[in-house]
Amino acid sequence: MSQMEPTVHIVDDDQSVRTAVGRLLSVSGYQVALYESGDQFLHQLPGGGAGCVLLDLDLPGLSGLELQNRLLEKAPLLPIVYLSGRGDIRASVRAIKAGAEDFLEKPAPASVVVEAIDRALAQYEKRRLEHERIDTLRALVAALTPREAEVFALIVRGYLNKQIAYSLGTSERTVKAHRHRVMEKLGVRSLAEVVSIAERTGMLDHQV
Amino acid sequence: MEIARRVPRILILYPYDERIVATTEAGEAVRTRLLEVTNAKIELFSEFLDLSRFPEREHLERMARYLSAKYADRQPDVVIALGEESARFIVQNRNGLADHAKIIFGGFSRATANNLKLPDDMIGALSEFDILKTAEMARRLQPQAHHLYIIGGSADFDRAWLATARTDLANFSKDYETTYLENLTIEEFTRRVAELPRDSIILALTIFKDSSGSNFIPREAIRQIAQTASAPIYGPYPTYIDYGAVGGNFVTFNSLGTTMADLALGAIAGKGGSSVDAPPTYVVDARQLRHWGLSAANLPPGAIQMFKEKTFWEQYHYVIIATLAVITAQGVVITGLLIERRRRRKAQSESHRRLLEVVHLNQSATAGALSASIAHELNQPLGAIRSNAEAAAVILRSETPDLKLIEQILVDIRDDDQRAHEVISQVRNLLKKRGDIDCQTFDLNDVAASAIKILHGEALRRGVAVHTYPLPRKLPIRADKVHVQQVILNLATNAMDAMLDVAACDRRLIIETALARGSKVELSVSDTGRGIPDGQLASVFEPFFTTKPTGTGLGLSIARAIVETYGGKISAGNRPQGGAIFRIVLPLAQSG
Repeated sequence: MSQMEPTVHIVDDDQSVRTAVGRLLSVSGYQVALYESGDQFLHQLPGGGAGCVLLDLDLPGLSGLELQNRLLEKAPLLPIVYLSGRGDIRASVRAIKAGAEDFLEKPAPASVVVEAIDRALAQYEKRRLEHERIDTLRALVAALTPREAEVFALIVRGYLNKQIAYSLGTSERTVKAHRHRVMEKLGVRSLAEVVSIAERTGMLDHQV
Repeated sequence: MEIARRVPRILILYPYDERIVATTEAGEAVRTRLLEVTNAKIELFSEFLDLSRFPEREHLERMARYLSAKYADRQPDVVIALGEESARFIVQNRNGLADHAKIIFGGFSRATANNLKLPDDMIGALSEFDILKTAEMARRLQPQAHHLYIIGGSADFDRAWLATARTDLANFSKDYETTYLENLTIEEFTRRVAELPRDSIILALTIFKDSSGSNFIPREAIRQIAQTASAPIYGPYPTYIDYGAVGGNFVTFNSLGTTMADLALGAIAGKGGSSVDAPPTYVVDARQLRHWGLSAANLPPGAIQMFKEKTFWEQYHYVIIATLAVITAQGVVITGLLIERRRRRKAQSESHRRLLEVVHLNQSATAGALSASIAHELNQPLGAIRSNAEAAAVILRSETPDLKLIEQILVDIRDDDQRAHEVISQVRNLLKKRGDIDCQTFDLNDVAASAIKILHGEALRRGVAVHTYPLPRKLPIRADKVHVQQVILNLATNAMDAMLDVAACDRRLIIETALARGSKVELSVSDTGRGIPDGQLASVFEPFFTTKPTGTGLGLSIARAIVETYGGKISAGNRPQGGAIFRIVLPLAQSG
């Protein structure tokens, strides 16, 4: 679907800027979509929202920074490049701190815009692959039986088989067997790899 | 009526559009009178039916539906129908639009009122447009005339007028070689009147439309015709004065409006009453009398002469007497006065120079405060130009360049260049330091609009919504345009500063223009901030008074100096719903 093709989403309330930048990126071989406000963009946000956002700072209604905040929830993978008519240091620092990919000032030369867009799209691709990998790992973890999951949770916290057996009220032998099944199901060979999976799927963040 | 417990609502219905001076002038007189007597405790609405341009039945029905819906929740207590067409409209569409309203009409004759079969509860101010009286005035002024020409247009109203004139003038015209000039285009009118014998009387009725179907404001048509006419023109409308007509007998629109307003006030007070005649007068333009060599001594008694220059003695007799007295009494005093005068002049020009100096400083300060926005306004078109040019370069490098797209790109580049140019010239105007005040007549609404354009980016940046309510008519004032713009910018930036600690969605800047009493115009700038503490209301215009940590306390005192230089007043107050309001009142420039 064309919607899933990486697209540069241009959000700018100034019609002539929007048209001109859209034209430039379009003839440079990018897929582009134009929006005149943050609300319109959120409303039409394509499923998954592949690509990146080229965002104006001053927008009527939802401002650029507000839109950025909303996107952190709704489309966290989309990198944001600001293209602003105002060299406002405070705003640019806030934008970058909140995770914006780049902050460009109008009038920016095409090469600079294109470079930033390429970086953002590469970043998107990286985030997307990582996201997919984590999804796969989460699926593997989800496939563990409840007992195996308990064992998994304790292994990654560095418990010895003996301690695990004690806290689950079972024998060390059984724990060893569970441990073997867990490593097999997750497709790993070492304890270090098991811990890495736990970390990447966010398990270590949630349990204290 | 239960209006006693709330502010009465009055709807003024205008038959045409806002350019038709006759009805707007009467309407203004109604407004002024109503506001004055009720001490502005009244809600006034105006609707323009626009029937000279859209006479079709469909338009009337559409208007009726639209107005009924619009006023559904706020039905007027009194409807003032100006002119015959408004009266007919309200009679036909009273239900739904103004079920319980008292209807006051005016601006037409008793005969027309009878024809309209107006319901008994409608009363009005009748004005008899007596063409015969106008004709008789012409006879007195031109006793030697042999020819009589009557001019009328081709609209329904114009034709009806011609028919009335034929009857009314039947006897009068027997004494002359009488010709009716009708069914002509405006060009034919101007050609024909140029060839008339010098001993002719020309009576002009109305020309809303000529025979080619072109629409006119009658007085503009009369002006064109009068320019080429070889004999004096008379007409039954006050608006023709100053447009080339000698004069006529009529009810002035001002007295018509005042009479209608008084009937409306009676209706609000719950009094009955019946229709009254608005008093007609003979009015002539003294300049036209001089131009045609007509003697004012032949005027009917009680005639008003407009634009009459006083004789040297009439104008200056006090000065002359005083000077003679002074000369005979004490030559020394004269010398003293002259020295004093020179000193005052010098002081005046000195303070004048200082004002310009300070105004310029303040202009630079405002420009500084707005510089981020100005840069933004400039960077937008520049950014678009750059992207467009680079896109064009990419297209041209391709094997089959899309020339149509290139063409569109070039058009866009030109437009953006124009946009950048406008921003720059606005900033340049704002910064221009001039050695002298450049007085000119301009529309206050225009200047307010250009100030808002400058502020637009800044308002956006601060999340302030700008609402403007310009009065839909020209508001000519005479002043230095840049100074007035400066005052508006100053008040508006103050208003935005006042809303810094208000929630973003509640930041509203409201700029409004309105007519004020005594042919003055008011521009108000209000905000939704915390308002001005009562104790400080009196001192905000004092120099060096400021509530802002970085303020100089000069902005408002300069604003006051500017406004007063042009004969105006500035005042500050708080709005009942919260926030401050600053009003500037300036005298309207005489048109023409």
